[in-house]
Amino acid sequence: MGRNVDRITLSVVRGVLETTQREMTLTLEKTARSSVFNTAHDYSNALFNHRAEMILQGQDIPIHLGSLMPAMKAVAGFFGDDLAEGDVIYHNDPRYMGSHILDCCMYNPVFYKGELVFWTVCKGHVTDIGGPVPAGYNPDAKELYAEGLHIPPVKLWDRGKERKDVVNFMLANMRARRDQEGDLRAQYGAVKVGERNLIALLDKYGVQTVQDCIDELMDMADRQMRGLIATLPDGVYEDSAVVEDAGHGYGDLEIKARIEIRGDQCKIRIDSPPQIPYFINSYAGNSVSGVYLGLMMFAQVDPPYNEGLYRCVELDLGPKGTLCNAVEPAPCVNCTTTPMETLADAVRKALEKAAPDRAVASWGHANGVNIAGQDSRNREEYVSMILASIISGAGATAYMDGWHACGPQCCFGALTSGDIEVLEYSYPIIIHRYGLMTDSGGAGKYRGGSGTVWEVEPIDHEMTVITFGEGRRFPALGAAGAESQMTDAKVGRLVVSSAAGEKIYRENVLVTIKPGERAANHNPGGGGYGNPLERPADRVADDVRNGIVSVDGARLEYGVVIDPSTFAVDEAATRRARQERTAA
Amino acid sequence: MKKKYRLGIDAGGTFTDFVFSDDQGNVRLFKSTSTPDDGTQAIDAGLQQISAAVGRSIEDILADTDLCINGTTVALNALIQFKGVKVGLICTAGHEDSIEIRLGHKEDGYRYDAKYPPARMLVPRYLRFPVRERTRSDGQEYTPLHEEDVRAACDLFRKEGVEAVVISFVWSVLDASHEKRAAEIVRECLPGVFLSVGSEVFPQTREYTRTSTTVLNAYLGPVLQKYVEGIDAYMRGRGLRAPVQYFQSNGGMATGRAMSQKSVYAINSGPASAPQAGLYFAKPLDIDNIITVDMGGTSFDITLTQGGRTNISKNIDFLRYRIGVPMIQVETLGAGGGSIAWIDPSGLLRVGPQSAGAVPGPACYGRGGREPTVTDANVVLGYLHPEHLLRGRLKLDRQASIDAIRDRVATPFGMTVEEAAYGIFKIVNNNMVGGMRRVSIERGYDPRDFALLGAGGAGPLHITALAAEMGIRKVLVPKLASGLCAFGQIISDVKYNYLAACPMRLDERADFEAVRRLYVSIEDAAVASLKAEGFADADISIERSMDLRYVGQVHECTVELGSMEVSLETLPEIRGRLDRVHRQLFTYDEPDSLAELVNIESTVYGRVPKPNPPRYPKGGADASHALDHVRDAVFSDGGTGVRRVSTPVFDGSKLLAGNVVSGPAVIEEETTSIVVEPGWKAVLDSQGSYVLTQD
Repeated sequence: MGRNVDRITLSVVRGVLETTQREMTLTLEKTARSSVFNTAHDYSNALFNHRAEMILQGQDIPIHLGSLMPAMKAVAGFFGDDLAEGDVIYHNDPRYMGSHILDCCMYNPVFYKGELVFWTVCKGHVTDIGGPVPAGYNPDAKELYAEGLHIPPVKLWDRGKERKDVVNFMLANMRARRDQEGDLRAQYGAVKVGERNLIALLDKYGVQTVQDCIDELMDMADRQMRGLIATLPDGVYEDSAVVEDAGHGYGDLEIKARIEIRGDQCKIRIDSPPQIPYFINSYAGNSVSGVYLGLMMFAQVDPPYNEGLYRCVELDLGPKGTLCNAVEPAPCVNCTTTPMETLADAVRKALEKAAPDRAVASWGHANGVNIAGQDSRNREEYVSMILASIISGAGATAYMDGWHACGPQCCFGALTSGDIEVLEYSYPIIIHRYGLMTDSGGAGKYRGGSGTVWEVEPIDHEMTVITFGEGRRFPALGAAGAESQMTDAKVGRLVVSSAAGEKIYRENVLVTIKPGERAANHNPGGGGYGNPLERPADRVADDVRNGIVSVDGARLEYGVVIDPSTFAVDEAATRRARQERTAA
Repeated sequence: MKKKYRLGIDAGGTFTDFVFSDDQGNVRLFKSTSTPDDGTQAIDAGLQQISAAVGRSIEDILADTDLCINGTTVALNALIQFKGVKVGLICTAGHEDSIEIRLGHKEDGYRYDAKYPPARMLVPRYLRFPVRERTRSDGQEYTPLHEEDVRAACDLFRKEGVEAVVISFVWSVLDASHEKRAAEIVRECLPGVFLSVGSEVFPQTREYTRTSTTVLNAYLGPVLQKYVEGIDAYMRGRGLRAPVQYFQSNGGMATGRAMSQKSVYAINSGPASAPQAGLYFAKPLDIDNIITVDMGGTSFDITLTQGGRTNISKNIDFLRYRIGVPMIQVETLGAGGGSIAWIDPSGLLRVGPQSAGAVPGPACYGRGGREPTVTDANVVLGYLHPEHLLRGRLKLDRQASIDAIRDRVATPFGMTVEEAAYGIFKIVNNNMVGGMRRVSIERGYDPRDFALLGAGGAGPLHITALAAEMGIRKVLVPKLASGLCAFGQIISDVKYNYLAACPMRLDERADFEAVRRLYVSIEDAAVASLKAEGFADADISIERSMDLRYVGQVHECTVELGSMEVSLETLPEIRGRLDRVHRQLFTYDEPDSLAELVNIESTVYGRVPKPNPPRYPKGGADASHALDHVRDAVFSDGGTGVRRVSTPVFDGSKLLAGNVVSGPAVIEEETTSIVVEPGWKAVLDSQGSYVLTQD
């Protein structure tokens, strides 16, 4: 061990950091107003040291955590020496390394005996940020100015005193102000709970010991990632993945990753098409999240998770003005899901070429809805992203089937969708369906997890449904030879039913529905792993009995013939079908 | 003259503990080996020991026993081993997957783990039957109940041999009529099937929580029913007149019949009596803030009680299954005497959660264990005497402990064996402190305001070190420490706990009369049944609480009301309490925000007279008459190193009340040893508890 840290104290310090992050998370969840915070976990808390390096990233949403590293540095750099005890900073601007403007982040510098020692940071997806479209997802925005309120780094508390004018200015630009204000207080509670704990830690062990322990934890993470990279053969590995055209008309867009492994170092170079006047551009901060998610899906390393993990990674996001390295005035509100998930796929697939045995399938990409309208129960405006509408299937791995209902990929199981009764209490809606979708999981020796459908009807008012994301034409990528036949069952879509019949949307739209009409958002399943013809027939039969795979799906995708009345496998017919398929 | 015995039976995984008291204040502890397949065998074995000790027949003893309480891990073990029954679920069409979707979440800690499997389904999807019916969030019917769907479900369940049926509909908490009608149909179509209904088992908002809770109830109910019927029949057959009372996870008791209908209330009933025992032992010291820790072979259970009230958990994931019903909050960690020390891939020393169990056990047991455990560390550190455990009936191999720690920890780390052993001791303590922080600091309690009670065979070895780490200055170790829960059972009050959803904004226009009526309606039934059980009015008391939040929040703070009436006059006080709780937990409050009532809760107590405490003979401060020997033990050198100290060891059975033992010292009892760290002193009080304080 490099520095003089005893292993016991190190474990204690690590434990306190983890507890602190967890307590911040609990505070936010228990106190927040919007369902996005209080039930859906679309937030992340992290701790930084005085050098603005992430010392604990916790287990929260992957899309937030990568971008927090450059964003923290941008915010700290913006204020430089102009920081005092009691200051609290707010920020959401992608031009200062933020992800998208809905992810509003609070940065709390922690001072100890007059010195800046830590930052406690809380980032969360607010339900509205102003702009022409409720909930922020404006598919018609050609420039970022048309998306909503941009908040460059600004102090909301100055030396312990709330700047009420600034807070008011900000909230005055948002819909459903009461929720936004409550959520802002909840974020404040979270960063202050973090501060309270860290100061107790310093009181106990002193600044030097604690900082030495933290440096050691970062070195440990560094050693872990380097250790893994060093096992990969030196060389250059390339692959790509495609973002589907979700209504912009610029066609499908290919993102390429080129990875050079030399010893225990890795250089990642991204190339993507020119930015487009549609909300799927990704500025540099957000793209860092995409690349790191791809890396972590591949690496699967154990905690501690901190900035040390990425020291051996050199990142080049490609020329400025491209999809994954966008610049002003490119709109970008959809960036945390699209193209971020595809970027992660490209990076992961390129890495898998260096170590095919580490391959995993993609998770269903995000394809969700926001809802907005007037609640007649209290005559208040409501607006919210509905995380329950976004729950896709997880990808299968070399060890097991993908989890049902665990995605999307960008959140990697960190969301919680919220209880339907809580949602119906919070918003004037009836949720008619929230269930798994037959045949939605990618076929494979290990099956992808099922996606979900979330079907809603408004009570006594007109409701606007605003969609975002993609994954409505291309299913989640399989791995190790997995291939699906019934691809349309595996992708997402919005299905609106009214007296006029059913209408299916595969692009991002704003749709208004009335009582008696329903909008059903279908989410993609996860990709499969390995040859589906190698899946044991009894496991296919079990899936059929449970309605996860249909009788047709069993035959078409797995070559397994099932008696629909008894769910028994027809062994002879199955053998024949599988032989024919193998021969073909 | 008729004796009045009281018998507490705590059936654990390894041992069944018996605490037996008479009206003279004699309390004795017995242990027999648990017999999971038929609990009555372990009970019979224990009763024989009691019979021999008292010199009366089992029949005579039971005839004079007016209170017999049983705490059991039957439901818990059935869940751990997936030995519940085949369950069918009847649910609102469109929502048959909520228990499989599990809110779309993967547990934290496994984010990138490609090998972590989903939770096993207690009801497979093909047995989750959608029924057309729907109530809206305002309680209005949207779709009437399609009875033919319920009948179709029954047909399927009959064909599949389903043993228990769950009915759980969306918003049944606002209007239970569809569930009630469906239940009638199920009883008619499937007579004899075990039936659990959501609005009866857990009448609170949150469909996923309610359905999951009710599914667990049905999955475990028949198992518990069989256990309870066996025990009841055995006890009646041996002459017990009073019905056996079964301990519940919420700290109350219920008869066997009531218990098996609500098995989910029994799921963690074992450790739930620890707080009562803790309060009992702390009472002579005028302490009602107490944290209890119970450290056995494999696990470490923590509870927290403030102002005589114990933290209650609701809506938590228990063994990966969501349970809504209130449970005494027990934080359980894989930290016990058998926990194994190991080095993780990043080179850090870890302890547990893997345990060497009883077989092969710690290296020093000489049963083939090679891994260093916490017990091995305690032997090396000189805290445990190799020859003195269970009065010499369990001999320990000290050299085996040294070898295991040297090979697996000391050599790889370049440390001495004693440094490594002390490292294990500190890491396991640190794990336990993490758990203690979760029940205290993370919930807004300052541990320095609490006394700490150490229990279980291993707990007293660590207790002063844990207290020091938490900043706690007062520690209790009862002589009955290793049977703490069985003792807790015989001194617990009978307790009925009722909940009701009561959604309402709490302003001047609130319908206080409706709230009052709802409280009275849930309390009346409990009071009537306590009276039927023979409790006098004076022994019955009621404590109320409500779950409140600021309008717009969806998570509630529980606010205690005691016996306060809810009215316009008390509204400001209630509001003030909400603000205080919120500030304590989350650093801020919102005095200007409107408050909203979500649930009300009443706990109705039937006071059980406590046994007279035992009296230990008094002596002076001098403890030298109880000095057994002096040996080397290892303690911290005050920094990060260790030092060996010549340490006096006392025979606990010879200590008199008032004797003072100053640390460093070890006090040996039959089933445990108490380590008195340097800077601490221990005094035996007149009721058989060691009180340890820091100078």
